Amino acid sequence: MAAQMATTKVPEVRDITRIERIGAHSHIRGLGLDDALEPRQVSQGMVGQLASRRAAGLILEMIKDGHIAGRAVLIAGQPGTGKTAIAMGIAQSLGPDTPFTALAGSEIFSLEMSKTEALSQAFRKAIGVRIKEETEIIEGEVVEIQIDRPATGTGTKVGKLTLKTTEMETIYDLGSKMIESLSKERVQAGDVITIDKATGKITKLGRSFTRARDYDAMGAQTQFVQCPEGELQKRKEVVHTVSLHEIDVINSRTQGFLALFSGDTGEIKSEVREQINAKVSEWREEGKAEIIPGVLFIDEVHMLDIECFSFLNRALESDLSPVLIMATNRGITRIRGTNYQSPHGIPLDMLDRLLIIATSPYTEKETRQILKIRCEEEDVELSEEAHTVLTRIGLETSLRYAIQLISTAGLVCRKRRGTEVQVEDIKRVYSLFLDESRSSQYMKEYQDSFLFNEAQGTQMETS
Amino acid sequence: MEESQRILKYLTEVEEAAEDVLADKQQIVELDAKRNRNREALSALRYDSQSEEKVKVCFGNMFIKLPKATTNQMIQKDQEQLDKEISDLRKRLKAKVNNLHELQGKPELKGYNLSPLSNDELRAINSILKR
Repeated sequence: MAAQMATTKVPEVRDITRIERIGAHSHIRGLGLDDALEPRQVSQGMVGQLASRRAAGLILEMIKDGHIAGRAVLIAGQPGTGKTAIAMGIAQSLGPDTPFTALAGSEIFSLEMSKTEALSQAFRKAIGVRIKEETEIIEGEVVEIQIDRPATGTGTKVGKLTLKTTEMETIYDLGSKMIESLSKERVQAGDVITIDKATGKITKLGRSFTRARDYDAMGAQTQFVQCPEGELQKRKEVVHTVSLHEIDVINSRTQGFLALFSGDTGEIKSEVREQINAKVSEWREEGKAEIIPGVLFIDEVHMLDIECFSFLNRALESDLSPVLIMATNRGITRIRGTNYQSPHGIPLDMLDRLLIIATSPYTEKETRQILKIRCEEEDVELSEEAHTVLTRIGLETSLRYAIQLISTAGLVCRKRRGTEVQVEDIKRVYSLFLDESRSSQYMKEYQDSFLFNEAQGTQMETS
Repeated sequence: MEESQRILKYLTEVEEAAEDVLADKQQIVELDAKRNRNREALSALRYDSQSEEKVKVCFGNMFIKLPKATTNQMIQKDQEQLDKEISDLRKRLKAKVNNLHELQGKPELKGYNLSPLSNDELRAINSILKR
């Protein structure tokens, strides 16, 4: 037993502590709703926004049940009110089985691909197809292998393989092909192996525990497994979830399946898509596949132009369509590609199809909570007064600015060998880094000394 | 009192369903053991070096001499019967496992009731699955 302990211990030594980078929404783990879909004030990294979270929760329930597909939701609100956080929350609570694709509105403008192609690829990435693979396998522990070589040296080899499980033991006759693959896999007595009945492929799972004491010296890679239970000839069923886009790519003949790895898929012909759609619906009718409509999240949706919107209008009508969630921080503004003004920069006919969730600015208490959560996430200790000061800053400038100050203040604090961020640290970084309003104030005062100050110009055109 | 009666009834139900599943599993194991013994017998018949016309077959606690061809046929028929029985059991087992899950309040297994893709279809999309 001691020898085995030693061999299993070896790989653990090389375990390196993993350092994770933290993103702006890394603290979000869900929508923070209870079983009755009532939002808790602070839960799963979410704070406040009770009404919008409840609304998102309702939509989430419908997505999970698969009741809605081809619907669209718009999350609208001022900058820094948690739009992306809500979308991330939905993504987190959907679980790994429902496809979630996120992209920013500006991502679809590329020279290599037309806008509509980029959008349809995103659409099809968000639709999952669940399929099942079924194989008959023989799984057991090798008791004995006996191979008879013909005396002449040439000719066919024959042999016998004894396999057992905890319940039974049996002898198989081996042909020359099986002997070859057994010796290629270096199968010996005491190994636990599986044999695929259809293809004859042999896989070594590891060595049986009962044989652990056979040798003292063995490689660290040797895996020990239990002797299999039950019947020898088992049926293995594996359920896979693939996205429609993945099936598109391997069937897009000009590229071949390698395109999936290189990432450069190029445009996919619409005939290919139609064929795939036909095949998948055939599978669905035969009970061989289930369609899982997922979620496509488009952030900064006001960046899309009028052509994209009309494409979206049509794409949502298709029976293979995911739930579309969009987010924008614009008010009434120009629709890209036209001269017309419209709420959120989205055409009215599109707006008419949307369920709109509004987010509102955070209150002082909520801002305080969010800053506290971010401090924990970024591993920075904050003193009570510093927390209050930071909350004030967050309210008067912006939440994003205050969050930026957390890690910088943390650094300043560490430089003076402090353990807890004090008000002085906050003051210091506040004087070092300008927020948006102070920066524009500075510009106004000193713009004469900057280069190219044609100055009197207009405000930024935001559409 | 009524509450405890209800709980007892529920627990009995769950136990019964679980027992049913276990019994079926054991049944499959036994049938597979039989199937493997039959297979061994068949290959023993095939590689039999003595060229006698008849072989001794054991029925219960009695040996009976039977012609080789008849024995072969008999065993093969038995094999088919066993294969069918095992696949029937597996099919029924699925419904029973689902039933047990429902009683225990666990979520139904996803994709459990799908029918499998054929070999050709699998080969076509194999490159996605083997990642």
